[in-house]
Amino acid sequence: MTTIRRFCCNDLLRFAPVNLDHLTETFNMSFYMTYLARWPDYFHVAEGPGNQIMGYIMGKVEGQGESWHGHVTAVTVAPEYRRQQVAKKLMNLLEDMSDKIDKAYFVDLFVRASNTPAIKMYEKLGYVIYRRVIRYYSGEEDALDMRKALSRDVEKKSIIPLKRPITPDELEYD
Amino acid sequence: MSSNFGLPGGIPERRVRPIWDAIDSRQFKNALKHVASLIGKYPTSPYVLALKAHILERMGKPEEALSTCLKAKDLLYSDDSAVVDDLTLSTLQIAFERLNHLDLATNCYEHACGKFPNNLELMIGLFNCYVREYSFVRQQQTAIKMYKVAGEERFLLWAVCSIQLQVLCGNGGEKLLLLAEGLLKKHVAAHSLHEPEALIIYISILEQQEKYVDALEILSGNLGSLLMVEVDRLQIQGRLLARSADYAAATEVYKRILELCPDDWECFQHYLGCLLEDGVSLRNGPVEDKLLASHMEHQLSSLGDEEIDSRISRATSFVEKLLASTSDSLIRCPYLASLELERRKQLHGNENIFNLMEALVEYFSRFGHLACFVSDVEAFLLVLPFDKQKELIEKLKKTSVSIPQVPVKALGQSITIFKIEELTGSIYKLPVDEVESYVQLMVEMYCNSLTLSKDLDPQESMPGEELLSISSNVLVQLYWRTGNLDYILEAIMVLEFGLSIRRHVWQYKVLLVHLYSHLGTISLAYDWYKSLEVKNILLETFSHHIFPQLLGSPLWTELNKLLKDYLKFMDDHFRESADLTFVAYRDRNYSKVIEFVQFKERLQTSSQYMITRIETSILDLKQNAGNLVDEEAILDSLKCGAVLLDLSNKIGSKPLTFNEDFRSRPWWTPTIGKNYLLGPLEEISHFHRDNLMKEREAEAGTTIERRSLFARLIYLSLHNASAALKENSEANGCLPENKLSSEMESLLECYAKTLDYSLEDAVKLIGEVYQGLKGSEAFGSHVVDWVNLAVFCNAWKLTSTEYSLHNTEGCKSGGWLVDSLLQKCMLERIRNIDPWVDFLGREIPLLVQLVTEPLAWHGLIIQSLLRVSLPSGKKKKKGGTSDQSSSPLLAAARDSAQCLYSTVEEIIKQIKDRIKKLEDENLGTTFFPAIKGQDCGPGRALRVIENTVSSAKNAELGERIAKVLNSWSSVVISRKIVSGQKRMLSELLTICESKHKMLNTLRKQNS
Repeated sequence: MTTIRRFCCNDLLRFAPVNLDHLTETFNMSFYMTYLARWPDYFHVAEGPGNQIMGYIMGKVEGQGESWHGHVTAVTVAPEYRRQQVAKKLMNLLEDMSDKIDKAYFVDLFVRASNTPAIKMYEKLGYVIYRRVIRYYSGEEDALDMRKALSRDVEKKSIIPLKRPITPDELEYD
Repeated sequence: MSSNFGLPGGIPERRVRPIWDAIDSRQFKNALKHVASLIGKYPTSPYVLALKAHILERMGKPEEALSTCLKAKDLLYSDDSAVVDDLTLSTLQIAFERLNHLDLATNCYEHACGKFPNNLELMIGLFNCYVREYSFVRQQQTAIKMYKVAGEERFLLWAVCSIQLQVLCGNGGEKLLLLAEGLLKKHVAAHSLHEPEALIIYISILEQQEKYVDALEILSGNLGSLLMVEVDRLQIQGRLLARSADYAAATEVYKRILELCPDDWECFQHYLGCLLEDGVSLRNGPVEDKLLASHMEHQLSSLGDEEIDSRISRATSFVEKLLASTSDSLIRCPYLASLELERRKQLHGNENIFNLMEALVEYFSRFGHLACFVSDVEAFLLVLPFDKQKELIEKLKKTSVSIPQVPVKALGQSITIFKIEELTGSIYKLPVDEVESYVQLMVEMYCNSLTLSKDLDPQESMPGEELLSISSNVLVQLYWRTGNLDYILEAIMVLEFGLSIRRHVWQYKVLLVHLYSHLGTISLAYDWYKSLEVKNILLETFSHHIFPQLLGSPLWTELNKLLKDYLKFMDDHFRESADLTFVAYRDRNYSKVIEFVQFKERLQTSSQYMITRIETSILDLKQNAGNLVDEEAILDSLKCGAVLLDLSNKIGSKPLTFNEDFRSRPWWTPTIGKNYLLGPLEEISHFHRDNLMKEREAEAGTTIERRSLFARLIYLSLHNASAALKENSEANGCLPENKLSSEMESLLECYAKTLDYSLEDAVKLIGEVYQGLKGSEAFGSHVVDWVNLAVFCNAWKLTSTEYSLHNTEGCKSGGWLVDSLLQKCMLERIRNIDPWVDFLGREIPLLVQLVTEPLAWHGLIIQSLLRVSLPSGKKKKKGGTSDQSSSPLLAAARDSAQCLYSTVEEIIKQIKDRIKKLEDENLGTTFFPAIKGQDCGPGRALRVIENTVSSAKNAELGERIAKVLNSWSSVVISRKIVSGQKRMLSELLTICESKHKMLNTLRKQNS
């Protein structure tokens, strides 16, 4: 029972039940608005009956040459709507957008190394751990950079795991 | 910023880079040093000066920064050979903006554009300036110029957006849309369109003018292919068709969408609305509220009964087809659609209610284990009469038992049934002991289900968590029914227990915030609120859970933090919003331009924002009320109170917005200011949230109006007091003070109006309470507001002869009657109150407000009077005489100080007694007398918890959960509650002691 549509500012006023989840970050306004202003097609919300927000995804498309890729900045689902593949639907939408409209090579995302449930879910969705980013989260926790190759990356070069972990200053994009 | 230099005036980049690097790393002194040496070489470079201004501003030297900016600006204007480039202008712009002089930055760009009329870069800069100033007309004019120079589609769209903003957010009439349409049409004819967002704006321009057929034509033409996602195109098409009343075509479009997205519930509602022609709200998300709000609201279908039947049959076949073609077991929409069709049949009066119930049972057997089941079917459950709801619950119970399930699903179904019983109110109709059994059962079920979570990651939500929320709600219900406070304590224990097992359950925390607030232990409520990490936009939507309680509490540190954090968030947003709007222009996401501006307006008119701004100033006044000089400095910064009056006047011009999300509030306090637990006890029913919201909105408006008067009234009261003494001594009031007095009268008139009284009647009522003809109950729930009014009236009448509240007959041994009112109302809060929950939860907030508001203002008025009479020294006011110690006014002031001094002394004594009593009660071990050792009454759930705790085993529960259980103790929570109470009392004590000290000084002064 999922109506997926573009996220809009007014949704920020209704997403508290989703964002109160301790693993969901509530960013400052300029963060959300930059995504809305630049990549509105990568920012979607899933609504259930009674216009309840079930979850949302925000992301972007960036990079050059074979690094041109979709990026999942955040994806989250309210506890009430978990285990219904809402995240999967949202991820598929972003992947489709990256693959078919923007012709990107891969989609990537960062996840806390300790967030086992999320890592498992991404693996189920076809993502592999591409590399580890040391102390990415507030200089404390490591991130895993996970990737999924898209149709344009015929040889799946983008997802060959890096052998060594990297530091945040080695990252190509913020 | 540092990566993008031009080199204005031939300044080498290597000289500039270190400056920006220093700025970026906040080494401003270093940056200034570099700039100084650069100025030596390029003394007339506006760019270098702009850089300097920028650094000075960042160093916190706004005046020097502004004068440097102005110097740079003068150079730009006066020197024809000066380099006028975008880098110089944008650097200057940043400095001007940070100095709150957007207008000067705009002037610079206007000047530059005048000098170089066809320079596109400068024009974009100028356009950006107008975006920052929200000058939509000038934006439009600039964009049109750019369009003429460059002929680019994006500039045309900038102009069109600017027109749309004039219509939606400015004063532009709808005729302007015709101009936008004309511009677009001409451009399309010559160059077509190339951006999907341009098409969306084109369609919205037509839609706003109700030219649906034209919009549809464009959508189905070549331009339609700009929308690459088919569903997106179909959604717009469906909406346009529906709005043009071509329901048959719209139905087909929505059908097509459902074939592509069979789980889209909103689309199904559109489909049904068009098929039955009874209208549904065809909004595609809140962004379009303004465009579509007036259209297609629910209406009655004009179709005949037979036609309706036949169309419902068509819908039924379509839904059956959808069901047949879906193999995904998670898709619920077509199943829920079957329910909706049954409901529609029922609405048209030709179907048996049993079909709807059967459909509900069917839906339950498929999806009953899901946490969202009840919110899915809520609307259907509520159309059933109570006896049918009960019957349904029995059927669901049978169904649940009859289907073999894995434990997690079985648990899910049981929870769903509990939730339905809660929603329909069927639990509450049972006798008390049966309700207690229910709670016991639920808590047992929760404890038994802990084994299901033994291998779960501690961050994952656990099956069965909702059981504790429902249990606590039912326990509160028991309190409501019986008045036995132990149920509330038990509800707290249950939730605290749940949080010790998994500390991330925000629903428990929210309930605890309210339960602790109800008990008056705001410090504990705040601790849980803090753990929710409410920040950024959540401050707007979620801080209502604690904000009103903190406002009435003595926890000023916490309150200050909340107010400051919130205002910082809002003000940051207002500062950044325009720049982000420009990003949307630049990235050609035009629909977001409109959305951003509308959203900024929505937040700017937020009722919470208004209240916070007012209360922040009032808190400042409260905290400094001990010292007249400090208070006057604050009043100065508020322009003698005019700042808040302006704020209130602005409210009159635009409707307030209410952005709080109330859905997460407990049943018993559905909106701010509503608390059913305070009685009267009524039978539980479904509360009409819409009505409550209207009530709340009206009240918020009135509160804002009233509170915005405070700073000005305090200012006027202080002046009036000193004027009164001067009048007495000089037997001649001077004109300006008369003016103050008449302004005061009109503000008091406004104040009284917010209490639904005329000033005359209000003064009469106050007089009656003064004289004991009426009790203070006559003030209803607005005691504090009335006593505040009485204090201001007292100050006003010091120079007025119109109302004689302070005449000698009304005076009590030389003092003012307002003294006895203050005394009476404060002592009433603290005397004869039992049990303690009434005292802490109900009376303390009132007492805090009485002490920190009317008493504080009155203390200031006395200070103001006594200061005039000071024989000498710097505090002596011009016009004051050297010896007035025998003046009756001064005698009254001193008597007043004496009377209130004794009152506060009595309050201090009582508070100390209560603190001592709490200490003597052995910290909570005897705190819940009723809970221990009884088979009925409160405590059954707590006993289940204690049994679980005592029998916890690692093997069954896993190491983590077993460890938590082994260390859990209800005594710890009891102690926490007691220390929370002590904290509240101690904070109040501190405030009272400072008032006591102040009054002591006053009563001794000049005597």
